[in-house]
Amino acid sequence: MVETFKDFGFAVQTAVKGMVITLKTFFDKPVTLQYPDQRPEIDERFRGIHYLEQEKCISCKVCALACPVDCIHIESELPEKGLYDWARFDIDYGLCMFCELCCFPCPTDCIHMGKEFDFSRYSRMDLVRNMLTWEGISSAQKKEVDAIAAEKAAKKAAAADKKKAEGGDKKEG
Amino acid sequence: MFEQSTVIRAIHSTFEWLLGLVGVDIEIIPESIRVVLYGLVAAGGLMSGIALSVMLYVWMERRIAGRIQARCGPNRVGPFGLLQTLADTFKLLRKEDIIPTGANKFLFAFAPMIVLAGVVAAFAAVPFSYDTETGEGIMVADIDLGIFLITSIIATEVIGVIMAGWASNNKWSLYGAMREAAQVVSYEIPLGLSVLVPVMIVGSLSLADATADQLGGNWLLWRSPFMPVVFFIFYVAGLAGCKRAPFDLPEAESELVAGFHTEYSGLRFSFFFMEEYASMTLISAIGAIFFFGGGDLFGLQGDSAILMFLILIVKILISISVMIWIRWTLPRLRVDQVMTLGYKVLTPLAFFMLLGATIWDLTDANERILGFLRRP
Repeated sequence: MVETFKDFGFAVQTAVKGMVITLKTFFDKPVTLQYPDQRPEIDERFRGIHYLEQEKCISCKVCALACPVDCIHIESELPEKGLYDWARFDIDYGLCMFCELCCFPCPTDCIHMGKEFDFSRYSRMDLVRNMLTWEGISSAQKKEVDAIAAEKAAKKAAAADKKKAEGGDKKEG
Repeated sequence: MFEQSTVIRAIHSTFEWLLGLVGVDIEIIPESIRVVLYGLVAAGGLMSGIALSVMLYVWMERRIAGRIQARCGPNRVGPFGLLQTLADTFKLLRKEDIIPTGANKFLFAFAPMIVLAGVVAAFAAVPFSYDTETGEGIMVADIDLGIFLITSIIATEVIGVIMAGWASNNKWSLYGAMREAAQVVSYEIPLGLSVLVPVMIVGSLSLADATADQLGGNWLLWRSPFMPVVFFIFYVAGLAGCKRAPFDLPEAESELVAGFHTEYSGLRFSFFFMEEYASMTLISAIGAIFFFGGGDLFGLQGDSAILMFLILIVKILISISVMIWIRWTLPRLRVDQVMTLGYKVLTPLAFFMLLGATIWDLTDANERILGFLRRP
């Protein structure tokens, strides 16, 4: 009997102790982050969705070669030396495992792991993401290309004129 | 008999006025039909009050649980998440009502009704306020055997739970029901004994008389040194009677899936859910009326019946918050621990307290001690 009441007293004591702890927690600020409204702070070396500095990229496809799951698909043409006609730079996030192995071998340091992390989609095809900021040739380079083309055309025209002039001379001569 | 109660009288005069607008005398309706009609109106009022308060309690429970676990709790639907329970209720109502193939269909459908009806019926004898002019409690059934009626009616809930457990044709349900039977029936002894002490001091079984006796800050809690312990016994036994944690053995989800309501879904499940919160309210109301003065706040409320009602509601809400706080702090007891607590601790303690309080009251110990202290 005495033993039972002693146990009971101890149980009440410990229960009160626990309730004091929960009361303290009750008045603490909740640690919840109201996610879609509040964004979490992301670490410097977080490996999220990539971002590509397209102007630096030389389309060497080293990243695609380094990728262990072959999720990077690059297609581009080189109309002139140093100029890139971009057709495709896709990363399939259905395959990508965010290992960062694509970023290390890049000779121009143009592909990086970004901070975006919420990319759930309704279909598998939507997981393939186009990394290009522009397709074809960049507007800055387009001018160069146009200039080169114009120069070429001018040269050609000049050559043609020369030829014509020479031909005319021959005819005349 | 029904004419004596304040609520029934109010319903009667409302009907009289409404029929008077149409030009019909209320005496046309025979007395027997009128009694049933008034009873139905009162029951509807109680039922909707309970349903609304359950919505508030569920919200409170989730918010408090959240804060205790350093979370927010529901805060999206409506202001402060208050409408979350409404959304959940609609979800629950839309659910398919499944009756298991092996179940006894009649008992299965009937059990939740018995369980809920038992608790709601008990509210008839609870005075929600007190009319100081006429000296009557504002309640549906103003009868002299108030607390006796309440303790007897809530005992029917056990029958409903056993019916639910048996009719489900599920071993977990049956285990839960048997645990419920063992627990609730054994805790009715300390509950009854602890209620007996204030009844003895007041000298009446009616809850309205208890309220009248405590007006002006003369609360039963400090009438004798035994009362705080008695209140503790009452509260613990009440928690066990409501199947609230740490005594939620009948629905111990880690052992018995969901106990006696494993097979229930949709509206029938929500009946069991409402019953739990309604019985919490009942225990809180009885505790507030028998130990904390009911609608009294040291006489500050004056003669206002509405103010007394609001004070009682606040007391009930505080009591329910404490129950929620206990639930989210203490782990569930083992079956044998529950039985040990009931039979070896609370029952003998309640007997001692009854004896002590009786001797204290009979010898006028309060007066003697006060007189001794006042002696120069």
